[in-house]
Amino acid sequence: MSPSRPPGSPASPEDEGVGIPVVVPSVDAAPHSQPVAWRHRHLLDVDILSADETELVMRTTDAMREVLGRPIAKVPALRGTNVTILFYEASTRTRVSFEVAAKNLSADVVNIATATSSVVKGESFLDTLRTIEALGAGMLVLRHSHSGAAQLAAEHFGGSVLNGGDGWHAHPTQALLDLYTMRRRLPGGTVAGRKVVILGDALHSRVARSNIWSLTAAGADLWVCGPATLVRGLEAWAGSGVGPASRRFTVTSDVNAALRDADVVMALRLQQERMSGGLLPSLREYSARFGLTRERLALARPGALVMHPGPINEGVEIAPDVAEGIQSVITEQVANGVAVRMALLYLLAGVRGPR
Amino acid sequence: MNAASGSGSNVGSGQNGATGPGGALARGRAAAASAELEISRAWLVDPATGREGPGELVVRDGVLRAVTWLRGADAAGVGPDGVIVVPGFTDLHAHLREPGDEAAETIASGLAAAAHGGFTTVCAMADTTPAADEPGVLIRVRALAAASGSPVRVLGVGALTAGRAGERLAALGELADAGAAAFSDDPAPVRSASILRSALAYAGMLGVPVVEHAVDPGLSHGAEANDGLVATVLGLRGSPAAAEEAAVGRDLAILADVVRDVPGVRLHLAHLSTAGSIALVRRAKAAGLPVTCDVTPHHLALTDGWLAGSRRWAWDGSDNPWADGPLAAAPYASSLRVEPPLRSAADAAACLVGLLDGTVDAVATDHAPIARPDREVEFGMSVPGIAGIETALGLLLAAVDAGRLPLARAIAALTSGPARVLGPRPASTAPGLIVGARADLVVIDRSAGWTVGPATIRSLGAPSPLVGRDLPGLVLLTIADGRLAWEASGA
Repeated sequence: MSPSRPPGSPASPEDEGVGIPVVVPSVDAAPHSQPVAWRHRHLLDVDILSADETELVMRTTDAMREVLGRPIAKVPALRGTNVTILFYEASTRTRVSFEVAAKNLSADVVNIATATSSVVKGESFLDTLRTIEALGAGMLVLRHSHSGAAQLAAEHFGGSVLNGGDGWHAHPTQALLDLYTMRRRLPGGTVAGRKVVILGDALHSRVARSNIWSLTAAGADLWVCGPATLVRGLEAWAGSGVGPASRRFTVTSDVNAALRDADVVMALRLQQERMSGGLLPSLREYSARFGLTRERLALARPGALVMHPGPINEGVEIAPDVAEGIQSVITEQVANGVAVRMALLYLLAGVRGPR
Repeated sequence: MNAASGSGSNVGSGQNGATGPGGALARGRAAAASAELEISRAWLVDPATGREGPGELVVRDGVLRAVTWLRGADAAGVGPDGVIVVPGFTDLHAHLREPGDEAAETIASGLAAAAHGGFTTVCAMADTTPAADEPGVLIRVRALAAASGSPVRVLGVGALTAGRAGERLAALGELADAGAAAFSDDPAPVRSASILRSALAYAGMLGVPVVEHAVDPGLSHGAEANDGLVATVLGLRGSPAAAEEAAVGRDLAILADVVRDVPGVRLHLAHLSTAGSIALVRRAKAAGLPVTCDVTPHHLALTDGWLAGSRRWAWDGSDNPWADGPLAAAPYASSLRVEPPLRSAADAAACLVGLLDGTVDAVATDHAPIARPDREVEFGMSVPGIAGIETALGLLLAAVDAGRLPLARAIAALTSGPARVLGPRPASTAPGLIVGARADLVVIDRSAGWTVGPATIRSLGAPSPLVGRDLPGLVLLTIADGRLAWEASGA
């Protein structure tokens, strides 16, 4: 899934990205006005990102954090750009995070929630996309319950598509904010060689999948742990390796082995429907065997980071005292989420050029 | 090639030069009534006799008048890589959509597509709206076929249960009297083992085969793709191989039970797709059970790696498309949504082995055109199906060209194989180059290919996953029942 070079652009050492310093844009200026080595019109998942591009996202996020620290946390970078936020799934946190990010960049934001749109009248997804484009949307932030919906949108939408989560497939902004949060908090500022554990329902999790791509690419010692019914199939992925380079990770249902000496533990939300689907006996049993409790966390390294993509089922996948404890960086994830989404909107807008 | 103009004399004008020195000359007359055709110095394949080699044939007034096998100097330079002539193909499994979904296909468009694909006999499945659970629909389909003017023969498949609902038997006796070639609830499986047991016994009494879409509805519920690495990585709901194999196992157990009382029973398992299913049928055949099966061209040539963006033929790829080099296409092409789902490279290889060793009796297309609005949607929202009747030959020839499948076996899987599955009842003649019979044959230029695309495809539905792909083997002429059914344009 390696991205191809845009037509006309010459091959250069920058394309290989070896040893060339990443040029961080000045986020106060218009995105297309700067020679930034970003070539993706859409961001559908993190698998397309080279190490340099990931680094560019991280450094641009630093710049956005600086903006967020200003008395008026706003830059004019996306002034006149219509960012449409189309969510086919209920979500408050992610939708608001995108909305705040876009508004901080001075974009015009249109929010479409499916319950109030003509989608309920049976309008097809492509019809909706065409309508949104005709109404002037330049960038689309999409959340959809079907894996691959963001890909379909990218094939038909004339502007940029930023995937806000598609089915079980991908949630690239979450993976990048997770990576950013880890890099800020881990000693040395890198996840390379660190033991990172994704704990819970990885099978149905787009957060897990995107993190598998980004964390293996970043050189983490990645473990995925959950009950056999909720990590099914991932063993085969771990065995064959991730991507063309066949990067390895570890899958286990042994929660103690997973947590032992971990540097980061990321608990995943458990959906109620896993019980009705016959995948788990009960929430109580899940919590007893796989919940992230203080006792279990003691297996990890002292000071290990506790993360969660939210929203949390307190007392199910994570104990309240762990979620709110000193090792938790969950609220920092939320804050970093805005900065990462600002960075991505900014970088994608640069590829589109001036309006 | 001026295949359809002029009189019957041999002329070389317009002949495709790539057929080489002394290549075949095919000349036909596009008379609506009866074909006139002379073919000299072509490669003939006759599955009825198992013979293939250089030869010539003459069709006069729609009847195959002469077949001459060439020897010695006369045969020099004639090979299977030039013009070949084979009996017309039989498709055991085509969804022609009419009545009910004429935006996807009509009888007329479906038969035009069939002729383009080299098919001269097509089994029209029963999942129309209304379902073909009583003779009226079969009679209507036959009338529509006659009105289309196509000489391609339509064999109606009757539903196995009323409304294909799986609860009580359809009007099986009346359907048989009306000429039903088989009974099937496809694309639905027969959920109730008890109903399947009764249906097999009753159909066996009538001498009509039962065609089963073998899948366990619980294990396949909500599935979008083969349960495997690709589905895991793409986040698609997987249907495990066990969903098919559990149903095949159940069906074979019931067949073994029924055959004790009803020796005429015949079960045909449609579009098997997993290595385990092929192994189960191999064992059942060895035990003497009256079971037959088919595989589709797409399950032989394509894999679930295509969902990730691979465009390698099954025999050229591994089970990990990400490790096979750069991906050629975007992921999640809804044109690849099909039931059963495209499987792993190992499954495709097992299906091919089954075809080679005779476990698999036939290649059937499961031609399933989908109306555009039902396809231009999210992958998981797409109606499943691949319209493959025009690309079946090309996919098999790709396997032939790759050295994976002998040409004669490929042709047999499209001719004598399906005829044997159907049995003697509906067929007036077995496929073969039979002198004195109405001509029923396909002329193929093996030195030429074609590009799948809107300009070349006759089926009405949304584009095939093979659009843009070059396929080997150009069908120059299809003659069905002594009449010209297809002629390559510009030939």
